[in-house]
Amino acid sequence: MQNTKDTFYETLRNRLAALNPDRTIVIRGVTRPGTLVEENELVTAVDVPDCFRLRWRPAAIDAKGTLPLATLQCEIAYETAGTALNSGMDRGRALAAMDGELLAALNQAPQNAVKTNYAGLAFGHAAITMNTSLWWASVAFGPTEIKDDRLARIATVDVMSFEETGEL
Amino acid sequence: MVNVTETMAPVVQQVRAYFAPINRMTKTATIFDPAQSGAFNLDVPPAPWIDLGWIANFARKSGTKIDPIRSGAPATTHLQTRSEVDATVALSFESWGKLQLALAAGVQQMNLLNAASGAAAAGSGGTAIAAVPLVSGSTATVLQVGAIAAAGFSVGEIVAVDIDYAGATGFIGSGVSGAYVKSALTDVDYIRRITLNVGRIASIGTGTSAGSLTLESPLIAGVPTSAMKVSGVAGFCDREGSSFFQEWSALFVGVGQQQERVLWHYPRLQAMSGIAEANTASTGGFEKVRLNGAFRALPVTDAVDGETVVCFRSYVVA
Repeated sequence: MQNTKDTFYETLRNRLAALNPDRTIVIRGVTRPGTLVEENELVTAVDVPDCFRLRWRPAAIDAKGTLPLATLQCEIAYETAGTALNSGMDRGRALAAMDGELLAALNQAPQNAVKTNYAGLAFGHAAITMNTSLWWASVAFGPTEIKDDRLARIATVDVMSFEETGEL
Repeated sequence: MVNVTETMAPVVQQVRAYFAPINRMTKTATIFDPAQSGAFNLDVPPAPWIDLGWIANFARKSGTKIDPIRSGAPATTHLQTRSEVDATVALSFESWGKLQLALAAGVQQMNLLNAASGAAAAGSGGTAIAAVPLVSGSTATVLQVGAIAAAGFSVGEIVAVDIDYAGATGFIGSGVSGAYVKSALTDVDYIRRITLNVGRIASIGTGTSAGSLTLESPLIAGVPTSAMKVSGVAGFCDREGSSFFQEWSALFVGVGQQQERVLWHYPRLQAMSGIAEANTASTGGFEKVRLNGAFRALPVTDAVDGETVVCFRSYVVA
């Protein structure tokens, strides 16, 4: 399922970056698009604002078909305090902007992507295009949460893929 | 005293289906011998059986009628007789493929041959690009077409491999009869349109193996003849209302949790329903489209005692 998680992240990150190139974060001194996967980063005590944080929840497997169908639930958490220029009084608008970006990225056609194995990148090899595609369902937005001076939300989306033969 | 150990009813999660061809001209079915092969590896069925994958909604129905023969006053049943023998099977395929599509459709299943540039539109595919002849050295899994022709194919592409149509009538198609021609046609590619002798290209040879197309799985007709040609296939098409009936030898296997097996063998199954699918809920709000099929069992003669039967149910203990 790791290939599914990696491919979904890459796809979503690239779409969000194309929609709003100004949404960036600096992680370990590197400026990058404002989307991250929590399990791939160092543990932090404070959630990074103004970026999309992906976390993977329990998976379900339907093994009845020729290839097992895996369903992964992806939580996408984000929060914002608005801008200092407006003393945070635009935090509602900033959260709505993030809602809009996420909705546009996930609703953009096609709602699928060719699964890719990125494991080789760590060893200087190219990513490998796999034989099947993953796809995802409509995004569901959770309620707005007030965290001190920030507004936060968790959106969830089910990501489905077929586990290919020999796939980890 | 003969003591046969009683076991619990088999607990089966799924049933798996296997296909074998029938010689339609001689009505010769492929017979499965459960005594010799009942414990076969489900992933490697004995030749010539071909794995169709898991199935759902497997439902057998007996239409056999048993009538009493009464005599006397008052009339009392003294004998019974079978006045009709009939059996049907319905199922949903969990996977889609050429064979599954053809069997579920029940009619001839057309290969959508890559059409020639400017070909007139046709519902089951316009005039095809000229087929590529095979050169010597081809096998059931490696097609030799020459380096120039091989460059016209791509990895992942589906190809149909069969002879030119030359005006024959009757059952046509190599390996498995894919259609019945009532009156002569003019399409030289017609047999490649209906053949089930198809494969997907896994790799295209380079260097010393240039000119070869290696297939993912063996052709159903085995080693191709020198008269066969190769056509690229864009997809598959079937038509409601066609006159042909698909017929196949079928084997269904249910594996119990104690490793026991129930095998249902229908030497001759013929399609008895039209073309329809069943949509079932899938995760994420999507729907899975399953191929539905319904079949009627036709008779064979059991070589053991000469009885005319339509299906065999075997129970193979672990």
